[in-house]
Amino acid sequence: MPVYITGTGNISVQPTATTEGFPEFMTHQTRYARCIEPSWAEFIAPMEARRMSSIIKRAIASTQMALTQSGIKIPDAIITGTGLGCIEDTEKFLTSMIAENERFLKPTYFIHSTHNTISSQIAIRLSCNGYNNTFVHRGISFELALHDAMLMFMEGKIGSAIVGGHDEMTPAYFSLLDRVGYWKKEAANTMSLSHSTTPGSVAGEGSISFMLSDKKTASSMAEIKAVDTFYNGSGTVNLTRRIETFLSENGLRPSDIDLLMMGLNGDVNDNNIYFSVADTLFGNKLTGWYKHMSLEYFSSPAFGMWVSALSLQKKQLPDDFILRGTSKGDLKNILLYNHFRNRNHSLILLTSC
Amino acid sequence: MEVVVTGLGIVSAIGSNKEETSESLLACRSGIGMLHHLQTTHTHIPCAEVKMSDEEMKRGLGIGSEEIITRTSLLGITAVDEAIRHARLVPDRRLRIGFISGTTVGGMEKSELYYTDFVSNDSHSEYIDAHDCGACSEKIADYFGFFDYISTISTACSSAANAIILGTTLIRRGILDIVIAGGSECLTKFHLNGFNTLMILDSEPCKPFDDLRAGINLGEGAGYLVLESATTAEARKITPLCRVAGYGNACDAYHQTASSPEGRGAILAIRQALEMAGLRTDEIDYINAHGTGTGNNDLSEAQALVTVFGESLPPFSSTKPFTGHTTSAAGSIEAIISILAMKQGFIPPNLNFSVPMKELPVIPTSELIDGLTLNNVLSNSFGFGGNNSTVIFSTK
Repeated sequence: MPVYITGTGNISVQPTATTEGFPEFMTHQTRYARCIEPSWAEFIAPMEARRMSSIIKRAIASTQMALTQSGIKIPDAIITGTGLGCIEDTEKFLTSMIAENERFLKPTYFIHSTHNTISSQIAIRLSCNGYNNTFVHRGISFELALHDAMLMFMEGKIGSAIVGGHDEMTPAYFSLLDRVGYWKKEAANTMSLSHSTTPGSVAGEGSISFMLSDKKTASSMAEIKAVDTFYNGSGTVNLTRRIETFLSENGLRPSDIDLLMMGLNGDVNDNNIYFSVADTLFGNKLTGWYKHMSLEYFSSPAFGMWVSALSLQKKQLPDDFILRGTSKGDLKNILLYNHFRNRNHSLILLTSC
Repeated sequence: MEVVVTGLGIVSAIGSNKEETSESLLACRSGIGMLHHLQTTHTHIPCAEVKMSDEEMKRGLGIGSEEIITRTSLLGITAVDEAIRHARLVPDRRLRIGFISGTTVGGMEKSELYYTDFVSNDSHSEYIDAHDCGACSEKIADYFGFFDYISTISTACSSAANAIILGTTLIRRGILDIVIAGGSECLTKFHLNGFNTLMILDSEPCKPFDDLRAGINLGEGAGYLVLESATTAEARKITPLCRVAGYGNACDAYHQTASSPEGRGAILAIRQALEMAGLRTDEIDYINAHGTGTGNNDLSEAQALVTVFGESLPPFSSTKPFTGHTTSAAGSIEAIISILAMKQGFIPPNLNFSVPMKELPVIPTSELIDGLTLNNVLSNSFGFGGNNSTVIFSTK
């Protein structure tokens, strides 16, 4: 069964929320950047918005953008991928609990601290009683949510779904992850992340939603052919063979892929895995990347799928995202490959429609 | 493709394995009492804590005392280890084996202990990267070392039920051969205080479906099921315990922490599960209700049960007066209790019930019934945000 991307909404560290299609992308010289937010008034009543954490406002707005673009009012399913969930409200409840020694606590932040608040709040706003799920697995949270949607389409249980990748990077959590080596020690030029020689990445955040439908419409941008994830906790998986198997299961060889879109994040160890896969399997194919624009956070692969879907619609990958090769304006098959520390790997196969 | 259950592993306040769990259920022995391990100022709030300390679990599992590991992961490893042995599962390169875990607090129990250090110094920084839910699942998976698929689900108190649903679907679609699915959650000050601020914790042992019910007792634990295709089980020469006959997942879409009065999401989830299983309402022999003991949940759930089952409402009970509300692990812990009840032919009682609810006087099974034949059991799990899931297990 074909599944189409028929609408998107993207709130990121780039001006993606305020532009139709591709905006003017910015390069950063930083260790950490936060989202460029739209005016909430368009999406949420001011009284309501005041009570909402950043991630909830962004998720509601990006969902609404995707719905509007697709023309679908209520989806059959709402599925979220988020590495950290509602960390802003979690921190508020946690720090006051510690500071006040478990006294004088208010329930509001606790109520909104659970990861599934995102999918739930979207469901409540849309009065959507359909399938509802939340995936919270580190760097493949978004891909697991997307895979779940594909499974529900295959099972014939849904005809449409909102799938989102949402993460907020609070200053406090940025600092904690900084202690354990997630980020560059000094401000980096984001364009230079592909040939970085140091570990760590540049921190970002984002809220990106996709409307998926089994019906092709005027707003359909791309078809999702297949999604897969695999675990390499043991470090013994043969990556290239695994990727070849995925392609062959979908009737393709590496030579059929027009664009390999990779999750290079500027960490030299992570980057090397990507280069090794690209060199072994895809030779001098057109290769793209996106985390220099989205910056790095657990559900950042959603940004890669957004760039890829828009590129398929235009048959062309913007120069900003080209790592190697040239885009000839005839894009058909895109393979998105992402990994998190060589432990969690994901593959998304998109094709033009 | 038929999906069968071939192994079970469970740890909660009523036992560290299946045998102890069954014994406690049959002896009507509750695990609710005072806290020993969790360091909180709320010492008067009854909870259902797992008796083993972290150190005792580490020793039992051969994990060094210096190992950086959260209680959620230790509980998870304990239950997964039992499930794997039960299913006589050995690593096999020809099989794709997945691990799907449900959790919400993840590593919070260490984070709340060390947060001040996290912010100001590096004395406990090694626990920072053990905090998130996915990290807790990977710690469990890596103890065994043979999983080539991993996923973590967090839908609050229905997380483990949704893990079972995903595992079943991945096998049905032929994507994985075997999945170990369930959930793990330890008690934390974070959610104890959270539920306490909502004023939905009972200061006495909880009384689900009773007119005088006054809230939840929180619990902790882990439960995992080994799921596989009937073909794989046959090839491995393993006799299935039962099969996953159907499931449903729907959203109440009513309120972040309250269920709709009519139980809209619950009705949808239960009906979807029945339809998928191809079962009539009178073919369900036992319902393990979500039955948290709050005024809101129990009335809403009872309303949903009456709407769906009407006159053919089968015996039902909430086993939370035994295990406490094990939150993200509740879906799998209660699925396992339902399967144990089905295999051993008993209905675990809804302890502490005496007065029917004024608004809707449905009567749960309040005394143990033994010597029955149960063919189809249904387990409900509902979470904050209206994440409602139902799973049906059948012997035939």
